[in-house]
Amino acid sequence: MRFDLTVLLPHLDALLAGVLLTAEVCALGIVGAFALGTGLGLAATTHGWPGRLARFYVDVFRNVPFVVQVFFLYYGLPEVGVYIDAFWTGVMALTLVGGAYASDVVRSGILAIEPGVVEAARVSGLSRLSIFRRIVLPIALRTALQPLGSVFVNLVLSSSILSMITLDEVTGAARGVAAETYRPFEVYAFLLVAYAGLTYAVSLGVGALHRRLNRHLVAGGRA
Amino acid sequence: MIAVEGVVKRFGTQTVLDGVSLTVAPGEVVTILGSSGSGKSTLIRCINGLERLDGGRITVDGLDVANPRQLAQARRLSATVFQLFNLYPHMTVLRNVTLAPEVVLKRPEPEVAAEARALLASVGLADKADAYPAQLSGGQRQRVGICRALAMNPRYLLLDEVTSALDPEMTAEVLAILGRLASQGTTMLFVTHEVEFARRISTRIVFLDQGRLIVDLPTADFFDPARGLAHPRINQFLSKMTPVGERP
Amino acid sequence: MRHTGFTVHDGLLLAQGLGVSLGLFAGTFALGLVLGSAAAVVRHFRVPALGAALHAGLELLRNSPVLVQLFLVFFGIPALIHQPLTPVVAAGVTLSANTAAFVYFIAVAGLDAVGRDQVEAARVYGFSRAQLVRHILAPQAAAFALGPLVGLAVNQLQVTSLVSVIGVMDLTKAGDILNLRTLRPFAVWTMVGALYFAAAKGLTLLGHHWERRLRAHAPPLGF
Repeated sequence: MRFDLTVLLPHLDALLAGVLLTAEVCALGIVGAFALGTGLGLAATTHGWPGRLARFYVDVFRNVPFVVQVFFLYYGLPEVGVYIDAFWTGVMALTLVGGAYASDVVRSGILAIEPGVVEAARVSGLSRLSIFRRIVLPIALRTALQPLGSVFVNLVLSSSILSMITLDEVTGAARGVAAETYRPFEVYAFLLVAYAGLTYAVSLGVGALHRRLNRHLVAGGRA
Repeated sequence: MIAVEGVVKRFGTQTVLDGVSLTVAPGEVVTILGSSGSGKSTLIRCINGLERLDGGRITVDGLDVANPRQLAQARRLSATVFQLFNLYPHMTVLRNVTLAPEVVLKRPEPEVAAEARALLASVGLADKADAYPAQLSGGQRQRVGICRALAMNPRYLLLDEVTSALDPEMTAEVLAILGRLASQGTTMLFVTHEVEFARRISTRIVFLDQGRLIVDLPTADFFDPARGLAHPRINQFLSKMTPVGERP
Repeated sequence: MRHTGFTVHDGLLLAQGLGVSLGLFAGTFALGLVLGSAAAVVRHFRVPALGAALHAGLELLRNSPVLVQLFLVFFGIPALIHQPLTPVVAAGVTLSANTAAFVYFIAVAGLDAVGRDQVEAARVYGFSRAQLVRHILAPQAAAFALGPLVGLAVNQLQVTSLVSVIGVMDLTKAGDILNLRTLRPFAVWTMVGALYFAAAKGLTLLGHHWERRLRAHAPPLGF
C-alpha cells in the first residue's frame, strides 16, 4: 500500500468538525484550568489548612493518570447520581487536571517574587487584597506565562483521551475516518503532525507574548 | 513622635533587639549606627510593622504598631526606603510612585501624577517617568524609591541602609538628595554606614551594639572624644568605618 | 445470576494489572533512556543529517498525543507493512519512542549545561570522544538531568494507562474488566486511581532517594 494522503479528502468535513470540538473543549478547559490554577496556586503558598488542602489536591491530580480521572468522572459519578454529558465531563476533567498543573506553576511564580517588593507594598499601607491583585498576581503571572503555556499545550494533547468517553473531538473523528477508509496510517500520521503543528504554533505565540510582557523585567535585572 | 519603648526581638534563639528604647520627634534626623548584625535594620522593620515584637512597644504618633488597625494608620504616617530599592518591577517609574497615594490615600489620579512628576523632576528623573525599574541604574532606582516614599507625604521617613547597594558615585547622588531633605526639615530615622554624612545631617546619633542601644547623644556630643568616642565599642567601630585618608 | 460483589480474585486481577503497568513502564523507560541519551550525544557532536532528522522526529513525538502515536503504531503500521503487531509490541515501541523524545530534550539541556569549554579542555588533554562522554559529559549531564528525569518517570508511568485502549491487560484494563462485571465504576476507578497514585508516589520517593545518593557523589556543576 502506498502512502496517500488524498484518501482523507472526502472526510475533511468530519475531521474539521472534530477540530472544532477539540478547540471548544480545550478553550473552556484552559479557561477553567487557569482560574482554578491561580486560586490553588495562591492557596498552596499559605501555611494553614487551605495550603495543605491545595497541595493535596495537586498531588492527587498529578499522580493519577488522566484516563482514570476521566473514567471516574464519566462512569463513576453517575453511580452516585451525578450525570454530566461527555462534552462537559471533558471540560471538567481538563479543568481539574490543568488546574493542578497550573497551580504548581503559579505557586512557583509567587514564591519567586522578591519578598522585599511585597514588603514595600505592605509598608506603604496597601491592603492584602490590593497587594495580591496589583503586585503579586501580575508579577507571578509574567514569570509563569511560559510554563503555563506548556501546561495548556499539554492539556490540548491530553484532550485526545476524551475520545475514549465517546466525545468525537478530532482524535475520535479520526478513529471514525480510519475505520471507514481502512487507511489508519495516513489518518493517524496526519493527525499527529496536525497536533504537533498546533502545539508548535501555541508555544510560538506564548513565547512572543512572554517576551512582550517581560521586556521591561529582564533588562539589567537586579542591581 | 515615634516612640520605641523597651523593644525585644528574637529570631529563634538569637536576640536581635534587647530592650531598645528610642524616640524620634518631628524635625529630628536620627541616625542609627552600628556594625552589621547589630539589629539596626530590624529596628526599622519593627517600626514599620514588618516584624512582630517579642516585647516592648512601638507607637507612631500614639498609634501602636502591634495593633493591626492602628498599624494601618501608622503606615500612612511613615514611609520606608529600602536597601535593595524593592521597586515594583512590572510598573513604570511613575506608577511606582503614584500607586500608594492613589490606592491607599485615595487621592485623585491627575493630582497624584502631577505631584509624582514634580518629585521625579526634583531628583533629576523627569525623563524616566515612563521607564521600568530594570532599565535604570541602581542610583536611579534608589532615587525612585525616595520619590515613592515622599509621594505619601510622610511625617517620618525611614531609611534602611539606602546606599549600601550602591557604588560611590551613585551613593553621592542619593546622599545629595537626602541632605536636601534634611535641610528642609524632613523627619528621618536613618540606618547607615555613611558616618561622615550622618555627622553632617543628623541632630542625634544612636549606637546599637549586639541588640542593645548603648549610646543616644546629640551629634556633636557623639563625636566628642570625652563623650561618645570615649566608648570603646564606638571608637572601635568608627576606626574601622573611616580608615585614615579614605574619607574626607 | 450475575455476581456483582468484589472477590479476592478482583484483588489478584488488579495486582496483575499493576504488575503489567509497572513492567511495561520499567522496560520502556529503560529503553527510552538509552535511545534518548544516544540521540542527545549524536546531537551534541553535531553529526550532520542524522542529528537534524532525530531532532525533528523526536520533536514531533514530544508534541503530539501519545494516544495518537499508539493508534499510528498499532493500527497504522500494520496497514502499511501488512504485518500485524501484538498490542504489547505496539505499546512497547510507542512508549519507548515517546520516552526517548522527552529524555532527548532533557539530555540535550544537560549536555549543554556542561559547557563547551570543558569539552575543549578535555580535547586538549587528548581524550577520545568515547572517553569524553564517559568521564566528562555523562556524569555531569546526569547530575543535571536527574530531577527532570524523576518527573518524567512519574509522568511516563501514568502514560502507560493508555495502552489499555489497544488491549494490553494493564491496570486500567483490569479496572475496565472489573467495572463491566461489578457495575460499580465509582469504587473501581477510585481503587485504580489509588493504586496508580501509590505507584507514582513510590516512584517519586525512589527517584529522590537515588537523586540524593548520586548528588552525594557527583560534584555540582560549576567550580
